[in-house]
Amino acid sequence: MYHKTIRSRFAAAAFAGASLFASTAAFAGEVTIWCWDPNFNVAIMKEAGERYTAKHPETTFNIVDFAKADVEQKLQTALSSGTTDALPDIVLIEDYGAQKYLQSFPGAFAELSGTVDYSGFAPYKVQLMTVDGKVYGMPFDSGVTGFYYRKDYLEQAGFKPTDVQDITWDRFIEIGKQVEEKTGKKMMGLDITDAGFTRILMQSAGQWYFDADGNLNIENNTALKAALETQQKILQAGIYKPSSGWTEWVGSFTSGDVASVTTGVWITGTVKAQADQAGKWGVAPIPSLGIEGAGHASNLGGSSWYVLESSAEKADAIAFLNETYAKDIDFYQKILTERGAVGSLLAARTGDAYMKADDFFGGETVWQNFSDWLSKVPPVNYGIFTNEVDTAVTAHLPSLAQGAKIDEVLKQIQSQAEGQIQ
Amino acid sequence: MALAKPGGLKRYYDVNGWLFIAPALALIGIFLIYPIFRSLFLSFYSGKGMMLKFAGFGNITRLSNDPVFLKALINTTTFFVIQVPIMIVLALMLASLLNTDKLKFAGFFRTAIFLPCVASLVAYSVLFKSMFSVDGVINQALMAVGLIGTPIGWLTEPFWAKVLVILAITWRWTGYNMIFYLAALQNIDKSIYEAARIDGVPAWARFVHLTIPMLKPVILFTTIISTIGTIQLFDEVYNLTEGKGGPADATITLSLYIYNLTFRFMPSFGYAATISYVIVLMVAVLSFLQFYAARDRS
Amino acid sequence: MRPTPAPSARAWRILPGAATYIALSIAAFVSVFPFIWMLISSTNTSIDIIKGKTSFGDAFSTNVANFFTLVDVPLVFWNSAKVAILTTLLTIAVSSLAGYGFEMFRSKMRDRIYSLVLLTLMVPFAALMIPLFMMMGKAGLINTHIAILLPTIASAFIIFYFRQSTKAFPTELRDAAKVDGLKEWQIFLYIYVPVMRSTFAAAFVIVFMTSWNNYLWPLIVLQSNETKTITLVVSSLASAYYPDFGVVMIGTILATLPTLLVFFIMQRQFVQGMLGSVK
Repeated sequence: MYHKTIRSRFAAAAFAGASLFASTAAFAGEVTIWCWDPNFNVAIMKEAGERYTAKHPETTFNIVDFAKADVEQKLQTALSSGTTDALPDIVLIEDYGAQKYLQSFPGAFAELSGTVDYSGFAPYKVQLMTVDGKVYGMPFDSGVTGFYYRKDYLEQAGFKPTDVQDITWDRFIEIGKQVEEKTGKKMMGLDITDAGFTRILMQSAGQWYFDADGNLNIENNTALKAALETQQKILQAGIYKPSSGWTEWVGSFTSGDVASVTTGVWITGTVKAQADQAGKWGVAPIPSLGIEGAGHASNLGGSSWYVLESSAEKADAIAFLNETYAKDIDFYQKILTERGAVGSLLAARTGDAYMKADDFFGGETVWQNFSDWLSKVPPVNYGIFTNEVDTAVTAHLPSLAQGAKIDEVLKQIQSQAEGQIQ
Repeated sequence: MALAKPGGLKRYYDVNGWLFIAPALALIGIFLIYPIFRSLFLSFYSGKGMMLKFAGFGNITRLSNDPVFLKALINTTTFFVIQVPIMIVLALMLASLLNTDKLKFAGFFRTAIFLPCVASLVAYSVLFKSMFSVDGVINQALMAVGLIGTPIGWLTEPFWAKVLVILAITWRWTGYNMIFYLAALQNIDKSIYEAARIDGVPAWARFVHLTIPMLKPVILFTTIISTIGTIQLFDEVYNLTEGKGGPADATITLSLYIYNLTFRFMPSFGYAATISYVIVLMVAVLSFLQFYAARDRS
Repeated sequence: MRPTPAPSARAWRILPGAATYIALSIAAFVSVFPFIWMLISSTNTSIDIIKGKTSFGDAFSTNVANFFTLVDVPLVFWNSAKVAILTTLLTIAVSSLAGYGFEMFRSKMRDRIYSLVLLTLMVPFAALMIPLFMMMGKAGLINTHIAILLPTIASAFIIFYFRQSTKAFPTELRDAAKVDGLKEWQIFLYIYVPVMRSTFAAAFVIVFMTSWNNYLWPLIVLQSNETKTITLVVSSLASAYYPDFGVVMIGTILATLPTLLVFFIMQRQFVQGMLGSVK
């Protein structure tokens, strides 16, 4: 391990030396990185970059901030056209899409298996960036889910925090009806144009759109069926505030219009950004689907860093990722405290930041809880067609509101998905 | 002049003719014609990303079994069949109103109605999203006047999402078309209208029997341009629905589907290219039909 | 003695007038309202905008300040202006030459080519994206503003517009100039351009707006923050993880201002130019 790192450092130095004579000398030693969330991964990467530059002044960072859809589109355009000089040195990719890129563009991403010690990371993160036994990425954040709820609204409706611990979705709906009756607030915001909520529910019962071998798994997917049934119940109970798209959905809870939100841990920063709501929020494990194999832990999103094979600063970029994301425990404490980022480096969880109570959440040790739930997230195979099937599922969500039969809906999703994945 | 000889004249014509159009032809050749053929070539290939294999007519077979393509095709057709006529009629009526003799504030009205055209597609999509959100100003206004009891899910219900897209495009482009008609109307001799008016021909009849026939070439031109624009509809639906064409694929268009196949899904360049040729074909057929319909009556 | 018009006829003549004003006022209001909404929203906080607040707020200066900290405004404006103005000038130059050429020097061959040029209007940009990007990549032009310019210069629509307008160009002027011994390019430059200046003005307005508002192609070609244009900035602010709608509204105002200005400054010539094109 150590030996390898020395070698890559040496290679980086040699590269930097060689590029002094190249026409692009001005950019030698500058690692360009694409990511998308200014309050989250962009800020975190800036922090990581500063830490690295402090120790290695010859390496500087140019962190470019695009919208997430823009990053994906640019990456796909550049790789498709074979125009690698337009690409950055490091790019952030959402875990759902990792296999798609790795398999569609073989040779585009640098293999890190020889350099990085993957035994220290959450296994599911490593698995999703592995192709033919080779590992290509640097695991970053986890999307472990939590059930964030407004203590004040629930209290008005007569519920204590213990009343929402380890409940089922049926119970959640009952509580939701009470909350609306007593406070006039809806229980949750629901974005009918996004299947994120469906994926949370489905994965909480250990299944995905694909089975372990990557075959389409829709019609006989009991978890997906239960997830859709639950959503139909929510739609019919009317305990939700409809929103279209991400921003409206975020607005539903930041504005205080709804009593709870169930999503990935990365939302913590957004929740906490509403300083006037401090002390009013609590976090519980997500409700369970109540079917066989269903639990209270799931995942939504999460992403990882990838180095481009064509990168002129490849060695430098790899050394940088390895030194910060695979080794720097202190770094993980800082990004957790400041940004709410739950990393997937297991050793980081013994740090003191994970033990601390959070005043915003009324002194709960939320990070300890998330860390605990993370270890319970059922591993699934995201496959290479998650986007396609997700689109098929999204297309059929509105029909749930009109009372469509779930088995029919599953059949339609199956046939649309089959048409898409070839 | 040195052009006395007929051969010299022809030469003069040709040299200048080619020289004047050469820059445009060169650019069109490189940046339009070449990519079109490259796309055609791609449409016979399939595979994941750059792992392309020759597929013959495989992509066409795939088209016929693809429910999303069918939805996109139906949506695109719905949009132009409903939106283009509404917009053209609206634009015509506004133009003839603005052309009223001695109209006060004509400049103000014209400027106001043309104003939407200066809005960038991104900016106006952001605006419309905010105006038509569940709590947005439009729902508030409709509820205040008692037209609706509960908010309309403009972007969460498939039917209303289609309505919103049609409203948005109509808002953005009606003024643009109106300017063409207004310009054409102002070229028409006012005395014809005066004569008709004195003869007691009512306003609607003057509109139908005088205005429309005289504007026929312009109407044909704007109809074709609008049809082409609507068939290629992308920016608006992309920005209104976060690139998804939702809800329930209610607003997905062919161009958006091509974009998704290229940039969001496992990249299927060959298949995407095949669909882009469906658009080319649709536009070609429709333009021909519109020309034909216009020619038939004259 | 002249007969006075019957009262009913007089009413008939007044009523359409009122209806005309009402109809036009409604149309004008609907057209302008989103702009008013944009101004109202720019004075409100993000949460108020999401809640649909319909009155002016007091967050305008905060929103402006936030926008200026988030965005390198002078650079972004310089990028947009550079691209839009260069594109406009080049498009007009190339297309007016072509429009003049196609109309003044007609031949069977060139007429056929002209129909071909018009056919290219039918090709959706989605079909050209990937091949174009590959070409730009090979030429090493990715992430440059030249790459945005090149494919947009030759516009079939503007060529068509110039050719239509050229039909109204008085041929006597050209004949007279020829007798005076002017070369064809001199006729174009010293006679055609000044005579057709409102045509050029209208083309300027149309191309400038299209280019300033161009979204998809710059989105694909421009890779770094240093080259971004204002539309890209607005769209990425709006699709950020935590979009601040107050800031987004400032962005939409700033993105709209230049096209608004161009239109207001050139409005008279624009309308005249359009007049010429549809004769």
